[in-house]
Amino acid sequence: MAKPTDLVQGTLDLLILKTISLEPKHGWAIAKRIQQVSQEALQIQQGSLYPALHRLEQQAWIKAEWRPTETGRMAKFYSLTHSGRKQLERELANWARLSTAINIVVQEA
Amino acid sequence: MRMLDKVRLRLRSLFRRPSVEFELETELRFHLDQLIEENISSGMPPEEARRAAQRMIGGVAQCKEECRDMLRVNFVEDLVQDVRYTIRSLAKSPGFTGVVVATLALGIGANIAIFTIVHGVLLRPLDYPKPDQLMYLTAEAPAIGGTGSALSAPEYIEFRQMNRSFAAVGAYSTGGAAYTTGEVNLTTGDRPLRVRSISVDAHLLKALSIQPEQGRFFGDEETARWTGTLPPPIAILSHELWRTAFGQRPLVGQKVEIEGRPHEIVGIMPPGADVMDNHTQVWLPLWLHPNMARQREAHVLYVIARLKDGVIAEVAQTELSAFLENWGDRVGTTDHVPTNRPLRSVDHTLQLRALQDAIVGNASRPIWVLQAAVGFVLLIVCANLANLVMARAGSRRREFVLRIALGASRGRLLRQSVTEGAVMSVAGGILGLWLASAGVRALIRAYPTSIPRPSELTINLPVLLVALGLSTGTALLFGFVALGRGRTSSMAAALKEGARGSSGAGRHYARRGLVIAQVAFAVMLVIGTGLLVQTVYNLTRIDAGFDRSRLATFSMTLPMANSEPEARAQAYQRVLDRLRSLPGVLGTAAMSGLPPNRTPDVIATPIENYTSDDGRPFAIIDYYQFVMGDYFGTMGIPIVAGRGFERTDTASQGKVAIVNETLAKRIWKGQNPIGHRLRPPGGSFGASDDVWHTVIGVAKDVRQRGVERPAGTEFYVSLDQHGVAPPSMNVVIRTTLPPAALSGTIQQVVREVDAAVPVVRLRDMDSVFAESIRRPRLLAQLLGAFAGLGLLLAAIGTYGVLSYMVTERRREIGIRLALGATRSHVLTQIMKQGLQVTALGVTIGLAGALAVTRLIASLLFGVQPTDIVTIAFVIATITAVAVVASWLPAWRASRLDPNVALRDE
Repeated sequence: MAKPTDLVQGTLDLLILKTISLEPKHGWAIAKRIQQVSQEALQIQQGSLYPALHRLEQQAWIKAEWRPTETGRMAKFYSLTHSGRKQLERELANWARLSTAINIVVQEA
Repeated sequence: MRMLDKVRLRLRSLFRRPSVEFELETELRFHLDQLIEENISSGMPPEEARRAAQRMIGGVAQCKEECRDMLRVNFVEDLVQDVRYTIRSLAKSPGFTGVVVATLALGIGANIAIFTIVHGVLLRPLDYPKPDQLMYLTAEAPAIGGTGSALSAPEYIEFRQMNRSFAAVGAYSTGGAAYTTGEVNLTTGDRPLRVRSISVDAHLLKALSIQPEQGRFFGDEETARWTGTLPPPIAILSHELWRTAFGQRPLVGQKVEIEGRPHEIVGIMPPGADVMDNHTQVWLPLWLHPNMARQREAHVLYVIARLKDGVIAEVAQTELSAFLENWGDRVGTTDHVPTNRPLRSVDHTLQLRALQDAIVGNASRPIWVLQAAVGFVLLIVCANLANLVMARAGSRRREFVLRIALGASRGRLLRQSVTEGAVMSVAGGILGLWLASAGVRALIRAYPTSIPRPSELTINLPVLLVALGLSTGTALLFGFVALGRGRTSSMAAALKEGARGSSGAGRHYARRGLVIAQVAFAVMLVIGTGLLVQTVYNLTRIDAGFDRSRLATFSMTLPMANSEPEARAQAYQRVLDRLRSLPGVLGTAAMSGLPPNRTPDVIATPIENYTSDDGRPFAIIDYYQFVMGDYFGTMGIPIVAGRGFERTDTASQGKVAIVNETLAKRIWKGQNPIGHRLRPPGGSFGASDDVWHTVIGVAKDVRQRGVERPAGTEFYVSLDQHGVAPPSMNVVIRTTLPPAALSGTIQQVVREVDAAVPVVRLRDMDSVFAESIRRPRLLAQLLGAFAGLGLLLAAIGTYGVLSYMVTERRREIGIRLALGATRSHVLTQIMKQGLQVTALGVTIGLAGALAVTRLIASLLFGVQPTDIVTIAFVIATITAVAVVASWLPAWRASRLDPNVALRDE
């Protein structure tokens, strides 16, 4: 089970931004979604997820809204802001560059 | 946009902490519940599902803390943390904090209070549109010391017609020409009031550009072109009088009784409207009796003029100078015209100055002196605080070094110490503002007439800015001083040095330097105070020419419009007789002008067999004094030649007069004045025609216009002999009772004689004197308070430095004592150090005082700025204070037990 600390520095932000880029999600749903899509490889702990969410919110990249879930409970839904979308594009580009570079190094060596 | 969002979010997390906390809690609980649900749906029993979920999530508190970290705004949070830390650490040393905050509050408070006065009185423009265009025109007769006098009516009219620089030239009078004494009786319901009045012409309003708040102003046909035998019965009330006396009920168009005549109220002035700080309550139309309008010797009008747009004051001054070259030729007369070449005592010239300067007048120098004094106090305060902060920084040096060693950055430490300074400065500043506003209010209440423009004295934006500047400045100073002290070349050394702190020689020099500066400033303040106290003492000891002990006085006015001179004389006589018959009353008299603070009359008086310097058969006499009853006896004025008025004079036909020594000397120059004759204008006291009066006696000079001014020429007429009286008289009563005890009886006596006449300004003569020297006294009192404060602070500074030094040198002193030094030797040595510092401070302070006391020379009376007695007294005082301040630490040092001092590592 991969610990969040094993994530490359800064990739949690990217994962969160990417995950909520399609539709607003609450924290639990974000964690579940990342877990599912990564085929259980990435398990995001509560202890990393929420500080990250709050940091992104303070950066005004994401915004939060209290809404009822399908079961009727109130939950805090996060969605991308305009500047968050731009940030996502920047981070995606960064990630592409970084992963390509790492791949090249790994394969060449 | 993002910026705004960020700011909004940060403010939210800062200021809406509870709701943010609640949301965080709810959000995390939701996550936990989801996890539990997932576990249950995968087949776990509920209890186990919960435990598993909690295990998986780990520390909720830790997570929350991390989230909170994310929510925080580092800078602001750090600041809040700094402030909290500061408050905690300051609360731990309440003595230090209390002394610093109180000292700051006193220093800043004194500065703000005085700056409020400087700003409100001197710096802030007058409350008229374009106030810098307003000029004040006065007549000056330097040869006889007449300055700031009124103009004659012909001069005023000629100037208005001749000039091209002014858009409007207007005149007012508060006495002579107004047929009042600047006060009128006003009846509201059953209550007679005495209110302050001013008589103005239509041009004056144009010049000042003020409009009544309700109703209208006077027209030209009601002032300049009025042809009645009395001024038209119309009046404008001040907003304040309308509010207090009439409860703001609709009044325009209605009649109100003023000076016994019904006057129509044609307008109400806006709040605060006034002329020349007259504290005007009623505005009356200015109308000149045709005789007075022609008379060039009657200087009765005060003139205010407004420059045309674009014309500067210098141009107007040049134009006026050109008029003065040949004023007589321009207007076709050679009779008593203003001239640029004042040669003889009868000549005068005209002078223009800015209205604001004219209003503030000679109050501006005392105010600046006070500002300088409080500036000194603030410097002493800062020196003292720098010393305190240095001492504290010294003892906290280990703490600072430890924090640096543990990784605190220098910037962070600086911020911490500046924060410490800022917290104390803000506290001191707020307390100071409060002190200042309370102080200014108390000052205005205690001395309503000593400060010009009191209504403008409010703590407003510029004052607040100065307060902010002072607080910020001191805060920064503290921070840097404290950190500068915390600086260390070798951390290890500092840590090793232990709790004794360090004792660098440089620091001692700095701290002694600060004490020397404090003492120097204190010396200057105390010398200034000493000189002013002596001035006040000299002023109170002046022989005004009469015996003021056990003398009560009040004034009353029987309005001219509804009383005949003969009836007035009888009414006053009745009042005097009834008062005389009261038990405890030794004598009564009445007079037209109350010394030592009356307005001059300046009346041209024909004198038999006399030719003045400019070849005229009359002299200008400064003061006419019309008296009733035993005036000289009651007042205790000695008759130096001839005799006083006697009861037998009343019936006799030949009118008699008494002159003062100055008049006798000036007119008859050493000859015997008895038997000479003068002819005063009868109109001046209610008689129908002018008759010759024979001089029967010479009275000792009495100070009439301020105790510090030399007596002018004075001429006494006995109203008893004429059987007439002017409208206003001052009554004096020589009595063994205090005026308060007489008050009820006096009110009753006056009411029985005329129910519509109020008793005004009932007080004892000592208060009249106190009133006449109120400004120097106030200045001396304030300066004395500031000097006392400065002296106290300097003493605390000396004491602080010495006791700190003694604490630091405990070991050394202990060793010396152990090696055989005597206790008295230690005592003298420490005291010597304290006194050396003081001596240096005194020397520097004396040099400074010699340089600056010249600036207050004009405020002094009967004492030189270099007065040796004052200086000796100051040196003695400061030395005494320094001895006390040094003795305590020295005594403690000499009592040291070497055993304890040496063991105490």
